[in-house]
Amino acid sequence: MKNSILYVLFLTAAFFSCENSDDTVFEETADVRLNAALASYEKQLVEAPSGWNAVIYPAGGGSYGFHFKFNNQNRVVMYSDFADASAATAKESSYRLKALQTPSLIFDTYSYLHVLSDPESDVNGGDLGEGLKSDFEFSIFPDSVKTDVITLVGRKNKSRLVLTRANEAQATAYTNGSVAKSLLFNNIAKYQTYFKRITLGGVTYEITVNQQDRVIKLTWLSGTTGNTFTTEYYFGPAGLTFVKPLVNGSQTITGFTNFTWNANTVQLGFSGAGANTVVTTAIKPLAVDLAASRRWWQKPVDSGGEWRSEFGFHVNGVDDAFKVKDLVSGKDEFAFYIYQPAVDPDYDVFAPVFYIEEEEKLDLVYGHAPGRPTFVADGRVIFPEWGSLGTVPKPGPAASSAALLFDPSGFYLIQTSEDTYDMVSAKDAKAWITWE
Amino acid sequence: MTMILLRTISKLFFAALILTATLTSCKEEEIGEVDDISGLGGDTWVPGPIDKWIMDSLTIPYNISAKYKWDQFEFGNITKTLVPPDEAQVVPLLSTIKKAWTLPYVQEAGEVFYNKYSPKFFVLSGSNEYNAEGSVTLGTAEGGRKVILYGTNLFKIKGMAGYNPAEDSSFVKDWFLHTIHHEFGHILHQTVLYPVEYKNITKSLYQGGNWINWSDEDARRDGFVTAYSSLNFDEDFVEMIAMMLTEGKAGFDKIVNSIPEGTSPRGVTKAQAQASLRQKEAIVVAYYKNTWKIDFYSLQKRVRGSMNKLF
Repeated sequence: MKNSILYVLFLTAAFFSCENSDDTVFEETADVRLNAALASYEKQLVEAPSGWNAVIYPAGGGSYGFHFKFNNQNRVVMYSDFADASAATAKESSYRLKALQTPSLIFDTYSYLHVLSDPESDVNGGDLGEGLKSDFEFSIFPDSVKTDVITLVGRKNKSRLVLTRANEAQATAYTNGSVAKSLLFNNIAKYQTYFKRITLGGVTYEITVNQQDRVIKLTWLSGTTGNTFTTEYYFGPAGLTFVKPLVNGSQTITGFTNFTWNANTVQLGFSGAGANTVVTTAIKPLAVDLAASRRWWQKPVDSGGEWRSEFGFHVNGVDDAFKVKDLVSGKDEFAFYIYQPAVDPDYDVFAPVFYIEEEEKLDLVYGHAPGRPTFVADGRVIFPEWGSLGTVPKPGPAASSAALLFDPSGFYLIQTSEDTYDMVSAKDAKAWITWE
Repeated sequence: MTMILLRTISKLFFAALILTATLTSCKEEEIGEVDDISGLGGDTWVPGPIDKWIMDSLTIPYNISAKYKWDQFEFGNITKTLVPPDEAQVVPLLSTIKKAWTLPYVQEAGEVFYNKYSPKFFVLSGSNEYNAEGSVTLGTAEGGRKVILYGTNLFKIKGMAGYNPAEDSSFVKDWFLHTIHHEFGHILHQTVLYPVEYKNITKSLYQGGNWINWSDEDARRDGFVTAYSSLNFDEDFVEMIAMMLTEGKAGFDKIVNSIPEGTSPRGVTKAQAQASLRQKEAIVVAYYKNTWKIDFYSLQKRVRGSMNKLF
């Protein structure tokens, strides 16, 4: 036993040799190659005379257009389509290339790019502590670095950033304010009517815009069949740009350009697919989802629970027009409005719900009882007044909300996601409530 | 038995010696191209006006450096979402700290004292750090050397766009200046401990981790200057330093005098609470005098005086 330990030890010693050649498959050391790679990436970024157009796709959703101009002093000048000011005025900040786990591009002081990542929710409308889940440190992978296109991946959230070498005209579009002018499109939110239409090359589209998530939905009819197309969008030298183009027969729409906005007449105009259009309003959907209202009513009946609305009705351009958020019951504050179908064989419940803080529970104090709704063949739903529950303060937010609900023109239900609907007044489409 | 064991050991030892000799005889000629290791010696960039300001105003006189360019690994919790500071905020923030912390200590206690004990490395985050339970991290200090300050982009003093005296002066006072005076207090008492009598003043009333459920007003009724003071002796001591310096003498007197009549839920009367705070004040003042040869009230005047010029 003792000897065998010795043999093992000697054996180990025998394996060592004094040859110390460091032959590797590479001619240079990893550090030399790493430094060369960092230098070449920086050179490529700097030596684009008109800078780079960029689109970032934050992990939190959406797509945002940028323009970067890098210099060899670790400085970068940028524009961003996030807001009017950042599209019109350049901001200078710093960047550096650094070897982390991979060669990385770091925007290392605050810039328009960081606005998307900022954890302060009032900066970007994202969640407190998270922002829009975007990035400002990016890994560089050699196989995604081409002469004119560089695709980068965010180190924290894996957002994608695509840089495309800009030409002089594109750089000028930023400096002369024409990209900023494209943001006139955002005025589409100032139309008071829910349904908006455009006509391009003889095709009428209903256009629905979600500015927070940067999503455009286009709906059109072929015969009587409704078709829908949804894309994310951003603003750049080519105006409003669809992330994926719409190909509709012979027509291809890649985005919109040449924006005009008249605040007095509330009229937005632009071009798309080579044609000019103005945004017009409609009081009903282009393609009515005939089964939507019944589906909306049935869902809580089948799954239990009720529809909730945090803000009540939006009317004539005013969110929470009846100020339901200001409702109180004693010292209990308003929590949300509910619509609960089939509470009773005879009636449903439409009522504000209050939150009792000490007991941490919800309380129904008063409300309205619509009778069983009428589902009209044209897709509308009409709520008849059956009665009320408790003592509803009159006049007041609840009384006003109910008066609108019982409007004899009824409502269209627009399904906006798996679990959300907008209920839009069929009278003029200027009033709606979001159910979730 | 013992003999055999000894022999075994000696043989093993001998073998090990030979082995060592064999190994060391393989001499490495060189260790490679060390001077080319990327990032060795820290990040580099083309220095700008901010770098020059930090060099001239903090590094040369006080051997303090400040990192304002993003480096994820300076921040303890890499899962948090933070953003770097806006360059326009860096000099205003650092010069405020210099005016309301560095200069008062240097003027009162001298450069030798300040350069010996001050933390040497500041790291700035542009945003706050939000914690899951809803709280916000204002600043952290590590080992008396490194201080992280959050919320740089939210910092505003007189003369900056959008300055709102009602909100911003208390934000700067309660966040940035309170934090740095608090952390420096820790460095001082970790160097020379305060008199043990301090611990006896409100000994039975410390809350430990439960401090978070108390308001400052509640804590003052028990003789603590802030709720955080009631965590433990050391925090109590440095909270006293930070509050007395940033509030000034008049501000501190106001805090003591504002304790309401009656007995606190823990059985402390108004007079007892006020007496506790006054005893703590006296020990802090004596500690500065006896240990550091610093006139605390003069220091307090300088700190508060410089703050009055900022807001």
